[in-house]
Amino acid sequence: MAPKDEKHDTTERTGVSRRTFLKSTGVGSLAVGVVGAGEAEAQTVRAVGPGDIPITLTVNGKRVELRIEPRVTLLDAIRQRADMTGNKRGCDRGACGACTMIVDGRTVYACSTLAIDVQGKQIRTVEGLSTGNTLHPVQQAFCDVDALMCGFCTPGFIMATVALLEKNPRPTEEQVNRGLDGNICRCGTFVRIKEAALTAKVVARG
Amino acid sequence: MAKQRGGGAGRPQAPAAAPAAPAANPELVRKYAWPEQPAIVGTSVKRLDGPDKVTGRAKYTFDISRPGMIYGRIVRSPHPHARIVAIDLSEAQRAPGVRAALEHKQAGAQVMYHGDAVAAVAADTEERAIDAARLVKVQYEVLPHLANVEQAMDPDASQVFQGGNVRQGQTQESGDLAAGFTKATETVEATYSTHVITHVCMESHAVVCEWDGDKLTAWVSTQAVHGSAQQFANGLRIPQTNVRVVTQHMGGGFGSKSQIGAEGILCARLAQAAKVPVKLTLDRKEEHLDTGNRPSATAHVKAGVGADGMLTAFDAESWGTGGAGAGSNFPLPYIYQFPNRKRVHKDVYINAGQQRPMRAPGHPQGCFLTEILMDELADRVRMDPVEFRIKNVPADAPNAKWKTYLPEAAQLFGWEKRHPTGDAARGPIKTGFGCSVHQWGGGGRGSQARCEIMADGSVVMKCGTQDIGTGTRTIVAMVTAETLGLPLSAVKAEIGDTLYPFSGGSGGSTTAASVSPAIRLAAGQALENLFAKVAPTLGVDPSTLVATSGRIQVKDNPSKGLVWKDACKLLSTEPIAADAQWQPGLSGSGTSGVQFTEVKVDVETGIVRVERILAIQDCGLVVDKLTAESQVYGGIIGSLNFALFEDRILDRVTGQMVNPNMEWYLLAGMSDVPKIEVHLKNQPERGVIGIGEPPTVSTASAIANAVRNATGATIRSLPLTPQKVLDAIEQQKAGGTL
Repeated sequence: MAPKDEKHDTTERTGVSRRTFLKSTGVGSLAVGVVGAGEAEAQTVRAVGPGDIPITLTVNGKRVELRIEPRVTLLDAIRQRADMTGNKRGCDRGACGACTMIVDGRTVYACSTLAIDVQGKQIRTVEGLSTGNTLHPVQQAFCDVDALMCGFCTPGFIMATVALLEKNPRPTEEQVNRGLDGNICRCGTFVRIKEAALTAKVVARG
Repeated sequence: MAKQRGGGAGRPQAPAAAPAAPAANPELVRKYAWPEQPAIVGTSVKRLDGPDKVTGRAKYTFDISRPGMIYGRIVRSPHPHARIVAIDLSEAQRAPGVRAALEHKQAGAQVMYHGDAVAAVAADTEERAIDAARLVKVQYEVLPHLANVEQAMDPDASQVFQGGNVRQGQTQESGDLAAGFTKATETVEATYSTHVITHVCMESHAVVCEWDGDKLTAWVSTQAVHGSAQQFANGLRIPQTNVRVVTQHMGGGFGSKSQIGAEGILCARLAQAAKVPVKLTLDRKEEHLDTGNRPSATAHVKAGVGADGMLTAFDAESWGTGGAGAGSNFPLPYIYQFPNRKRVHKDVYINAGQQRPMRAPGHPQGCFLTEILMDELADRVRMDPVEFRIKNVPADAPNAKWKTYLPEAAQLFGWEKRHPTGDAARGPIKTGFGCSVHQWGGGGRGSQARCEIMADGSVVMKCGTQDIGTGTRTIVAMVTAETLGLPLSAVKAEIGDTLYPFSGGSGGSTTAASVSPAIRLAAGQALENLFAKVAPTLGVDPSTLVATSGRIQVKDNPSKGLVWKDACKLLSTEPIAADAQWQPGLSGSGTSGVQFTEVKVDVETGIVRVERILAIQDCGLVVDKLTAESQVYGGIIGSLNFALFEDRILDRVTGQMVNPNMEWYLLAGMSDVPKIEVHLKNQPERGVIGIGEPPTVSTASAIANAVRNATGATIRSLPLTPQKVLDAIEQQKAGGTL
């Protein structure tokens, strides 16, 4: 398996990678054990939840207001609370890429990103790409070359491809490999996904 | 669907009992034989649900949301083998948001593997359901378990399974083995094996159940909508007519989704208890543990070959495990003709999740075990592997064309550049070529369909089949439009719902071959009914009419006719609804193919990179060229995963799976996928056959043979991990191979 450099690279820099996510949740109790009582108290004051809290997300340019427990991921908040089910949950731990969204221009694994951490950021999902009945060029390319079979990984692959092409509209084959290595397709559609990524006409986006 | 226990050597599963169907009509079959010059069938048509899937509009079971819906969660055994002493649901029932909690197994019952379902809860959010499941208290009496095949085959092992841990199969024998070995100038004796892998559907198994009185509607991620309805009816003891199953889109099954499983029944019972709709989706770990796997296969083989390169004798003892009480059979020897042969197989039971059919059940295992041996035997008689195979495969037949495909593929691939076993080039990167052959059955069976034509000219084809990603929805529309002489956009395909006529499960590469004839005949019958309405207006006999290019017209006088819409207006208040079912004559069975691979092996790290793959594959009449090719690409990549990456690893002590996720259960990513060249053979004279499974059979064997050709070391077991490659090279240097 090739390392999923591109995805880890990009998510790390946005501060919402799976690793950061684990740091902020799973290791919490350990942290309490090593800090002084005063610091622990200070943390308690800052803590939210565990019950529902109000949050506001900006999804595809629209404000979405939700009441959720702080532990809810970006993916579950959008899928189960906002009923935007385009992006999928495959592994729920940042390994398959079916949940890939674009946050402030970079791909993230939404299954491993807390919803409360991306308030105030621009979140893009697969629902936000097409305009009316006109498909985004990446979506059109996927349809044209049959770059999908069961289609469950497709929204994640499309978001990863869009993010790649907006940065680099004319990637080499090697750059496509690296850009899409964070996504898994079990039906085995890779040959045609690559073809779609190499032929889609996307305009660079700052 | 019947639970397939034996692997069945790749036979498709028996369909659920079909309701009484329209009578056979050979005359209709003759009239609606596949056209010699089709307008749509055989072309490359983009899948019709592509736009829904790429925009996220397509609703999978995971995406279904119903008013008031809550979430279910299953409590599973942490032990590979235990007796349940007591189950206490009370604390879970009091947890926040919990609406239902129930037992799946009762006190006294046994759990047989890590992940066996014990109880279930439902709560208003998924997070709270997970919390509540942790509060269910199950007291277990831990029992002795078998964590692997070696432990289970030990005569001193605890008898974990009733009737023994090993089930001895029948001996298959033909010819005279002793005489065969006397004729042999060379023999190879070795043990070959393949490992257990899981299906890893991207959409894990999922169910949404909603009751309306005593009627159940279930959205199921399934390969068999009608089969699921039957299983709900049996499991819940309600009439099948009270069950509706819907599957508009599903995220991959590969054989694991022909059963509703514990999750199906539990979801229905939770919804009944909570009196609201319940969604139950398995997480990735549950998916690995409890939704099936491809059984392991091992064979100790002795085989002989004459100086002329003809195989003489094959003697094998084989075994494998399909988990807790499930079979592991596979075809052996695979395809090649041994005049004298004997094989005895036994199923070994261990405490792990039961196998389910997985894309070409049995064949990838039998193919690997045989194909590595073939290259070893070819080397013994100093013969080129392609030439050796051509000598020993059966004679050419429509369903067996290896003698034709092997030389053709060799030429296309540049096989003449292959070096003898062991790349003599300097440096750590060694190159190798390998090849392999395969076969599959496929074929049609009792699908039914209904074609409706309305007075406004609109057309709908209804069929209770399902599209599991193969493109079934698209071929239903293609065959309808072809038959009615209409453009694709003028017909609607309605599938994935038990409200539509019976169709079998999608397994055994049977869907296209079952559905296409039913669609063709239903559309043909509807057309005959329309001709009968139109003929009097035109003043001709109905038998003189044809439907073509959006018109109903006289065959020998095309100007005499009506455009489709005007013809349909004659239906007035009596629209057409014509039923038909699959009949012999429009589908065939039996496919063959060959695959060639080139690999690079780094003999310092043991890492194998597949550089390119070439496949020749037939499947009878190609319906949609574009989606048929996609099936071949996908099958090849699946087999590459089998060869190099995926492996269900059980802890040897605890029997627990140590990699039940997608970061340590490895699957190929974009960088791992080589150049793949697909040569699809169209055989219109054979009718529709099906292509989902055959291409995934032989890639792994071809890769393993290429690794052997590159390194000179024989690896007789999968997967080809870097460690195993290094070990084999070391062994080979020491004068032997693994």
